[in-house]
Amino acid sequence: MTPTTLTRALAAAAVAATVLGGTAPARAQSRAETLRYVTGATVNTLDPTMPGTTREAFAISLSTYDRLVTFGRKQLDGNWVFDLDAIRGELAERYEVSADGLTLTFFLRKNAKFQDGTPVTAEDVKWSLDRAVSAKSLAAPQLLTGSLTSPDQFKVLDAHTIQVTLPKPDRLALPNLATVYAIIINSKAAKAHATPEDPWAQAWLKENAAGSGAYAVDVFKPGEQVVLRRNPDWTGAAPDKPAGFKRVIAQTIPDAATRANLVEKGDADIVIDLQANDAQALKERGKLTVTATPQFNAVTFVSFNTRMPPFDKPEVRQAIAAALPYDALFKAALFGRGKPLFGATWGEGDPAPTFPVAQPVSLDLAKAKKLLAEAGLPDGFSTTFSFNVGQAATAEPMAALIRESLEKIGIKVEIQKLPDAQMSTLVSEKKVPFFTEGIVAWLPSPDYFYRNFYTGNQRWNYSSIDDPEINRIAGEARFERDPAKYADAARALNRRALALMPQIPLWQANQDAVMLPTVAGYTYQFHRQVDYRDLSRK
Amino acid sequence: MAASRPASSRPASPWAGIARRAGRRLASSLPALLGVLVLTFLLMRVLPGDPAVFFASGPNAGKAEIEEVRRQMGLDRPVPEQLVRYLGDVATGHLGRSMTTGQPVLTDLRRRLPASLELTFTALAIALALAIPLGIAAALRPGSLVDHGVRFLCALGVCVPTFVSGLLLIYVFYYLLGLAPDPTGRIDVFAATPPDITGFLLVDFALVGDGEGWRNAASQLVLPALTMALFVLAPLARITRASMLAVLGSDFIRTARSLGLPPRRVVVTYALRNAILPVLTIAGIVFSTMLGANVLVEKVFSWPGVASYALDALLASDYAPVQGFVLLMASLFVLVNLTVDVLYGLADPRISVE
Repeated sequence: MTPTTLTRALAAAAVAATVLGGTAPARAQSRAETLRYVTGATVNTLDPTMPGTTREAFAISLSTYDRLVTFGRKQLDGNWVFDLDAIRGELAERYEVSADGLTLTFFLRKNAKFQDGTPVTAEDVKWSLDRAVSAKSLAAPQLLTGSLTSPDQFKVLDAHTIQVTLPKPDRLALPNLATVYAIIINSKAAKAHATPEDPWAQAWLKENAAGSGAYAVDVFKPGEQVVLRRNPDWTGAAPDKPAGFKRVIAQTIPDAATRANLVEKGDADIVIDLQANDAQALKERGKLTVTATPQFNAVTFVSFNTRMPPFDKPEVRQAIAAALPYDALFKAALFGRGKPLFGATWGEGDPAPTFPVAQPVSLDLAKAKKLLAEAGLPDGFSTTFSFNVGQAATAEPMAALIRESLEKIGIKVEIQKLPDAQMSTLVSEKKVPFFTEGIVAWLPSPDYFYRNFYTGNQRWNYSSIDDPEINRIAGEARFERDPAKYADAARALNRRALALMPQIPLWQANQDAVMLPTVAGYTYQFHRQVDYRDLSRK
Repeated sequence: MAASRPASSRPASPWAGIARRAGRRLASSLPALLGVLVLTFLLMRVLPGDPAVFFASGPNAGKAEIEEVRRQMGLDRPVPEQLVRYLGDVATGHLGRSMTTGQPVLTDLRRRLPASLELTFTALAIALALAIPLGIAAALRPGSLVDHGVRFLCALGVCVPTFVSGLLLIYVFYYLLGLAPDPTGRIDVFAATPPDITGFLLVDFALVGDGEGWRNAASQLVLPALTMALFVLAPLARITRASMLAVLGSDFIRTARSLGLPPRRVVVTYALRNAILPVLTIAGIVFSTMLGANVLVEKVFSWPGVASYALDALLASDYAPVQGFVLLMASLFVLVNLTVDVLYGLADPRISVE
């Protein structure tokens, strides 16, 4: 039998399938009012503070719950992105910051209601924030980065006013209240399901959303789909409007090629996790809107374990920084879809007081050889280069190119591809010498980056660097209220990081949001997911 | 299958023998199940990768959070104690909680198993419906063009990996021709939620008499079932052919033919019934393999089944779901073997005597 016969047989089967198919009459209407978002990931909880919460679950919680405040948005290179410096009220209609920066006062919207119809009060806010800093969850360590640590800091002034006091004027206290962990929960509903072992109703809230957000949960099937229904009482979208879509379906489609097919056929409205080459192809075909936003709060690194010889020598690290084929890496791994962080030249006034900042590094094998000789390793050495399976699409070509290039300066590299859980374990235990990893910061200010990713004996300090100067400047900058002095501190941190080179920032990959031309309002958000509340149909 | 032949002159009904065999089989499989349970448990803990680190992966998760996850998963206790607790849990019907989906493993499996079973049953039905006639046709004219054609088709089915044939079918019937519905799960996402009675959508829709829903579910099922059926066509068709060849060459067939019985009667009633035993065995094995091995089909078609569930859990070193999945598969394997035994007894009453 030939393939043609096979195809014919299959065609017959498919015709049978269509005959079986049929169409529902009222579908067109509801389709237009429904946002179908497809993703490879899974929503595993309705309570975003639970350990193990996936990014998709953050996106759902952003719509089902309100926070006191929310990030505004700004234009960056022609794309809308969230704006850390323009924080506006969400559940609060306005807020005041005292002159010394130690007291934040929030005035709640008087007409705000939870989805069960009960009014939102300052007591609910207090209970929710108490929960965030007290319960065993991921919220406490996040809010700690904004000096929010104790229930004593949250005080109810009256039914619609709540005051937050800070021990020091922390720059990130207010932004932290806009992150996914600072959700405001219906305390009466939650308390009804609390138990002596579970005083914060964590078990119940994992399966039930009790918020005041723009959407209520209709269907929650972890690993399959979440269906949200618009909350008509919610008017947090630009001046007093409910959210744009009546219904949101967030569906898990594990196969990336299938996701690409769905959106190209118009069966899905928006997708953000396609393969880089698929996004590129869809853009070239021109039927869809492809919004490529460099993830300006994320960085991909090549990291060294600075506690493991020979990477404890700065010269070795700099030698490798001079031996990476940056342009080839960028093309092979990302198809050029991102913002490179290499090849810069720092002149007068540089580096810019931001993080990440483009580095003055480029491929220069002669310089690399010289640095290796200075480090006492003129003949090179052997090491391993590790990455996790989840990143294989980008990391595999990177690893091959890095091995090839480092061979030229005598460094023999063995490539190690590790299952995700194993890689994160080894990185936490500081057992990987040389590897690639990514980071993301919800609150992308330089001191936050340096404090989280360049200090302390913890997992996210990939390079295990412990430099007194970085520790001191980053620690002080956190409480610096003078913008000029803060910028100086950020420059000093950037210069110090370049000198030590504990890890090489490579690039910021694009988030390719591929959507139907009828979908409007897409904004790149801090949690790198789609905020369904931003979207509407033209 | 024709069970009407006055099979034996023995007084005892074949059912008694079947029941006795079934009971003995079930009892003897318990130690094997326990072994599987312990082995999987130990294997998961030997694998590198610490689930606590993996799941405590918030932007600021530190040592305290990792310890908390470890405590929640019960990993802070010594391994022998964990094992005893786990066995106790399983005995009382608890399989632990999945960190990947946040749900109890039992709930997840109960919800997803019907999806996998429905797909596998349909695929097996399609495969048998294709393989047995093809096998017979090939056996009737060995060495002919038909025989070679069947061999080629089987080789093709086995050689092309399921994710390739799945993607190909999607590309042709969904993307190019637009004949098939979008390959995303068991039912159109815009349709109303299906009734939840048995979990088998085709059965549920038939029970509530929802014709449109039934058609919808059936049309979602066609492509994935076809993909899997193509893959298992080969063993079924080949074994049918081999078994039929042996039987067709035997004395009683020659006798039947020489007596001038109609060819259809000779082939279907006498030859096929005698040749079906090895096919049943293989069908049982194929069924068990399909349930576990259809992970690629489930991934490609976003089918919410147990295999893709277990794979996700395995990649995340999420112990409870993997252990639950292996236990489920082992139990199913026992059940399938049992069913095959029972069918043996029906096809050939001599077997129940032993």
